[in-house]
Amino acid sequence: MAQRVLETDGLVCPFPVQEAKAAMEEMNPGDELVINFDCTQGTEAIPRWAAESGYGTKDFRKRGPAEWSITVIKA
Amino acid sequence: MLITGLLVGAAFGFVLQRGRFCITGAFRDVWVSKNSWWLAALFVAISVQAIGLAAFNTFGILPTDSVASAFAPFATIAGGFIFGFGILMAGGCATGTYYRAGEGLVGSWFALIFYALFAAMFKTGPFAQSTAFVRNWGVTENATIYQSLGISAWVLVAVLLAVTGWWTYRNLTRPKLPMATLPPEKTGVAHLLFEKAWNPYITAILIGLIALAAWPLSWVAGRKWGLGITGPSSNIAGYLTTGNVELVDWGVFLVLGILVGSFIAAKASGEFKVRVPDSKTIVKSIIGGALMGWGASWAGGCTIGNGLVETSMFSWQGWIGLIAMILGTGAAAKIFIMPRKVGSPAAS
Repeated sequence: MAQRVLETDGLVCPFPVQEAKAAMEEMNPGDELVINFDCTQGTEAIPRWAAESGYGTKDFRKRGPAEWSITVIKA
Repeated sequence: MLITGLLVGAAFGFVLQRGRFCITGAFRDVWVSKNSWWLAALFVAISVQAIGLAAFNTFGILPTDSVASAFAPFATIAGGFIFGFGILMAGGCATGTYYRAGEGLVGSWFALIFYALFAAMFKTGPFAQSTAFVRNWGVTENATIYQSLGISAWVLVAVLLAVTGWWTYRNLTRPKLPMATLPPEKTGVAHLLFEKAWNPYITAILIGLIALAAWPLSWVAGRKWGLGITGPSSNIAGYLTTGNVELVDWGVFLVLGILVGSFIAAKASGEFKVRVPDSKTIVKSIIGGALMGWGASWAGGCTIGNGLVETSMFSWQGWIGLIAMILGTGAAAKIFIMPRKVGSPAAS
């Protein structure tokens, strides 16, 4: 099981999700992708994308003003 | 009574920011993720306003029928397409750009400046003649769909309600996905207002009501229209460069209110941060903003003027303009988003 960190601060939607999708493709089942983002819409779009793709999530939290982090687990 | 513009704008900006109401996203999702979750929400907002406007006219409260824009097919289609293309590049539609500017997104500041500048250039500046030309070209006899069909506006209200109701029901009754949510840090009203993720359909109802309230308030202030973004943005650019105070109307206060409302909402929710994108995003925002100003001027409206207001008046310009915008966004999505799917380099 590997963990990878994806920094997307400064990117606006839909690009954080697009980057996460691309990163996910190169990962193996059980691997974790920590996505750091500061796009407000991402608080809705990223969990929705994860749920629709059937991925698990953990550690969804606010890092600071307008900064969030979520860990997506590849199924 | 210009101050009511500021209040309506602030309420609008607040709801847009907290509800994450993004029309660009709604159009984009149709093409990129093939879902209509947000587009259906836009239809809810249109429906709420449509019921209200039909009632305004039937009961003689406000003759909003009389101000529907004449339909110039080429201008509406070409302008709508250009605007739709521009909002994807700019990362936000007319209102999206305003409320993201209020959240501190520097890319949206650039988009906003060029949107206002190009709207003014195409409405009253050096390119005003091109706008006048396309907007007079092939104008149809009837402005609204119900006039053309020779039926009551209420028939179309009923059709719209049936479609929207069925669509919303289907979206809301889908099996709920186990979506991750942020752990709450606030309680009670503060949690509801400044933290909780709002249901898009509740947000849409609120937006429909705000759009409706805008009509009489703007009307008594001498501006016979409801919500509008492009005209007021152009007026701001005009006022700032000529000092002509007559340009400062209810609409100007409305759009300034959106900035204030979204800033308050973002700040109180801990979602305000000055965010500077990379140089590529800034260039895209500038080009997108310029296309938005051009397109909206030709089409006679933006995602709000045509997409939310003219649609609820059942004008040809509103509905054809809405379709043209969705197509424009789709074309831009094909160019700027879809290719990124294949082997985009990801950070380690």
